[in-house]
Amino acid sequence: MRNQYFFLVVLFWAGGCLFGQNKELLYDFTEIPQSLMINPGVQTDFRGYSGIPALSGISFQLGSSGISAGDLFADDGLDINDKVRDRAIVGMDTRDELSGTYQIALLNIGFRAKDPDVFYSFGIYNEGDAIGYWFKDYAILAYEGNADRRNQKFDLGHLKTRGEMMNVFHFGVNKRVDKKSTVGIRAKIYSSILNFNSTRNKGYFVTTEGQRNLLASTVEADLQLRSSGFDELRAANRDGNLPGTILKRGFFGGNLGLGVDLGFTYQINSQTVITGSLLDLGFVYHTNDVKNYTLNGSATVEGVEIILPDALSDPNRDFWQDLVDEVEAFIPFEDNSKRYIAFRPTKLYASLRYNFGKRVATRMDCDCAEQVSVGSFRAKYTNGIGGQLYMINRPRGPQAALTAFYHRRFGNVMALKTTYTVDKFSKANIGLGLSVQAGPVNLYVMADNLLAYGNIATSRYASFQIGLNIISWDKN
Amino acid sequence: MIRFKKIWVSSLVFSALLFSCTEKLDFDQYDHLRLTPIMEASILYVEAPERVINLVTQSSIFTKDLNFEAFSADIFSERVIEGTITYVVENTTSKALEISVAFLDRNNNVLDTEIFTVQPAPAPILQRDVFYGPGGRSIDIVKNTSKFRVSALNLGDSTSTSNLPDPMVTLKSSGQFLVRVK
Repeated sequence: MRNQYFFLVVLFWAGGCLFGQNKELLYDFTEIPQSLMINPGVQTDFRGYSGIPALSGISFQLGSSGISAGDLFADDGLDINDKVRDRAIVGMDTRDELSGTYQIALLNIGFRAKDPDVFYSFGIYNEGDAIGYWFKDYAILAYEGNADRRNQKFDLGHLKTRGEMMNVFHFGVNKRVDKKSTVGIRAKIYSSILNFNSTRNKGYFVTTEGQRNLLASTVEADLQLRSSGFDELRAANRDGNLPGTILKRGFFGGNLGLGVDLGFTYQINSQTVITGSLLDLGFVYHTNDVKNYTLNGSATVEGVEIILPDALSDPNRDFWQDLVDEVEAFIPFEDNSKRYIAFRPTKLYASLRYNFGKRVATRMDCDCAEQVSVGSFRAKYTNGIGGQLYMINRPRGPQAALTAFYHRRFGNVMALKTTYTVDKFSKANIGLGLSVQAGPVNLYVMADNLLAYGNIATSRYASFQIGLNIISWDKN
Repeated sequence: MIRFKKIWVSSLVFSALLFSCTEKLDFDQYDHLRLTPIMEASILYVEAPERVINLVTQSSIFTKDLNFEAFSADIFSERVIEGTITYVVENTTSKALEISVAFLDRNNNVLDTEIFTVQPAPAPILQRDVFYGPGGRSIDIVKNTSKFRVSALNLGDSTSTSNLPDPMVTLKSSGQFLVRVK
């Protein structure tokens, strides 16, 4: 039972507390097959590859735009209550977020078709993604209350969160159109394990001077939380069948959706490359194990009122219950099982790269000498420098990140990529990625925001990616 | 060989970066975090017009027991630390009146009583703040209150009428309570 709780905790931690989705290190890192997953139109020269199941692509990203663990829990002698008030309650605003993602590739295989310009890839990965914006006014209410805050409207719209956990089944086609351009498309079937979202909330709570009594408390609410999968997982946890239920929901036993990734690479000239991709343009239709909660309406309360002579007309009248019933009638808290569509957080990548230095021959099997392109397979350069743009669709609108990068190849054995990224989490995010090719075995390791590793407690963003693949360049 | 040295050195650098440092964190501080908001809202409003008072020939105008479960509800009673109840009584009638508010528990035991005697109009507005908690009345009175017994006595006559417009006696009340969320 303890293991199940642990599993549940890990599941919700993974799905609910991680951050960010930008994979700027992996993007256009063409030595690594997983770069196909964030640009299906990337230039590849593999004959084929096979990811080691469950090890071919693991990524975790953590971050907070408003506060770090060190801000609150540093052993600095300051009162925790002062730190919470100054750095969280007052210091953060509603655009600050706690968000993140993890991804584990369960199966990832790619192979080149008879037509050497066409490369297929397919697989399954498990993904968790969640975001929660700082619910500032709720926090003020919980921390300080509404006393002496007359006429201040506490915005109920500050509750904005969404999250999901799913398996993604994908099949992609990458086609070299000509020497200059490569395009790609990846079809996806989403099998949602769980989902929750509460992103279109409106309303307020305010205390004003009463019309009759001293104070009037007014709630105007239009709140909604939509969810799927939780009841089944809760029951499974109770019955000791949680892993099996997660597995079942992740393999078409939950809610299904469709999506597509698009991407391209275009060689402007022999050394300059432009790329772009649009990921997770899709949705999940939630019909199974759906539970939605709503709080919709408005009411003003000035306490229990006894107004003579009406109050004496019915000696059995229960004024308290009347008040409660009245409030519940005006702001009913209801639940339903209405189906809903949840759109995926769509991501956009774009990059401009300038290659220079020596040329490294493609490893496509041939008898040709180095510094020569094979057919339409272009030789790579030892150095690449450029910029990347990343955008993701979020409940409070798109978020962007800008990256400058330097890519260095050491023959066909090793490649390094270092990035400098500016986004809402950090203005000094330096990342480093390493890909090592030992025979057919490819290992890559990447980490973000390295400067913060000097004191990770104060870091507001961290990510880590690792993967292991078997790559073939042979014809047979 | 040189290639492998490069790989080895790069791997070392990379590993070193990953073995990061962190300043000392003390998560036990969470135990000292106090979430104690002060919440306020109206409690009770009583309104008795003079024309109704004059209809009652006895001195007791009315006595009414009212359920009021906001205080005894677990979500409040288990968390309230201290608080102040503010009463404002305004009399624009032509007679002296006595308004009393008794706090009753579930078994109708009287836990506390607040009595307001107001003079005929023009009388000043009476405001009273009653503190429950350390140094004041016991907060247990509030925690155990599940009813109010509101009574009004006419200390004057049943015939006179105030010259003021819409004469009545009103009792307004609100509470401001410190509650422990954590």
